[in-house]
Amino acid sequence: MASVKDLRGRIRSLKNTQQITKAMKQVAAAKIRRAEAAQKQARPYADALGEMLQDLIATSSRIDHPFMNSGKAGAPPGVILMTADKGLAGAFNSNVVREAERYWRQHSDTRFYTVGIKARNAVRRWGLGDRPGWPLNAPSKLQTADELAQAVTADFTAGEIGEIILVSSKHVSMMVQRPELRQLVPIERETAAAVPAPSSGPRGAVEIEPSPEFVLSKLLPKYLEFTLFSAMLETDASFYAAQLLAMNNATENAGKLIDELTIAMNNARQAAITKELLEIVSGAEALTGT
Amino acid sequence: MTVPFKLVSPAKLIFEGDAELVIAVTTEGEEGILPRHAPFLAALKPGVLRANIIENGASRRLELATGEGFMQALPDRITVLVDKAVTFEDVDVAQTRAELADAPDSAAADFARAKLQLTGHH
Repeated sequence: MASVKDLRGRIRSLKNTQQITKAMKQVAAAKIRRAEAAQKQARPYADALGEMLQDLIATSSRIDHPFMNSGKAGAPPGVILMTADKGLAGAFNSNVVREAERYWRQHSDTRFYTVGIKARNAVRRWGLGDRPGWPLNAPSKLQTADELAQAVTADFTAGEIGEIILVSSKHVSMMVQRPELRQLVPIERETAAAVPAPSSGPRGAVEIEPSPEFVLSKLLPKYLEFTLFSAMLETDASFYAAQLLAMNNATENAGKLIDELTIAMNNARQAAITKELLEIVSGAEALTGT
Repeated sequence: MTVPFKLVSPAKLIFEGDAELVIAVTTEGEEGILPRHAPFLAALKPGVLRANIIENGASRRLELATGEGFMQALPDRITVLVDKAVTFEDVDVAQTRAELADAPDSAAADFARAKLQLTGHH
């Protein structure tokens, strides 16, 4: 049986750990509110962008933009793997990474682009060398999204990749974050048409200046950039939700362990006292009993 | 006569309310939109966006330097999407001049010019 001193030491260290997890839980709770607010702020832009895209696609019957056509046949797929920069959020990062890994096992020629330190490390671990990567938490997420969109667009138009796929985490609820794999480019007509937009019924011919093709050639890259931006916001929100849950569990588990160890320590202390008393009593007995 | 007008950037909703007139710089030149305009969609280049908006019952001029974007006008509303937008108060003239001097030909330079135009420093 462990000594009282050992147990006391373990309890103290557990209490310290619990203090850290509790603090991290509170920080995550505060940050998730901010992340969700940022997501909400991006909502009007998403709606407006979706509506304009719909209008354009409805107007021009034949759209000739690289993003609307399938990429170069036989070219490897380009996968954007998006995770958080830090860990301590349960299986959050590894779930997303595993999703990408499964895809990679099936398409061994996949070319990766990474957002988030954990994603970069995973791709390195697979022995794929240094691929273009960005941290998730840069001063300006919009700029990161812009750079990333430009990088993948350049490779796509150059025929180095045949499609653009995003693997990131979907923020289903505070308790559930699900890894998700979706194709961004080529944009399927149905996908673009399914963009939620506050419909205002049929409207007449839309005058598009200077031409539908020109506006579309501006709008589609913006659409890709914004999709990446909002995925980054969503990853942020999911990460903090996962961290909140993980830290909550860790705090509870530490509490349980502390309780168990405290009981064990009390038992040990009582046993020691009883043993000492017994020794004294039996010693006295031995002296007087003669 | 007014029309609901919305100005949004990816980071936030910059303005939502009623406007009497919205003037934006499209790739074809300045375009002014009045209420009940025919359906219209255009790409915007960096420039100064002006609008006569109604605030607390009174008409007021809204002026912002904006980045690239899009403008959609419908008979019953006007929506403008921009990458970024700054007001007169947010422009640091000296810093903007430096940005412009660093890269006079980049896309950022057009936005810098728009900012200077907004503050009246050409």
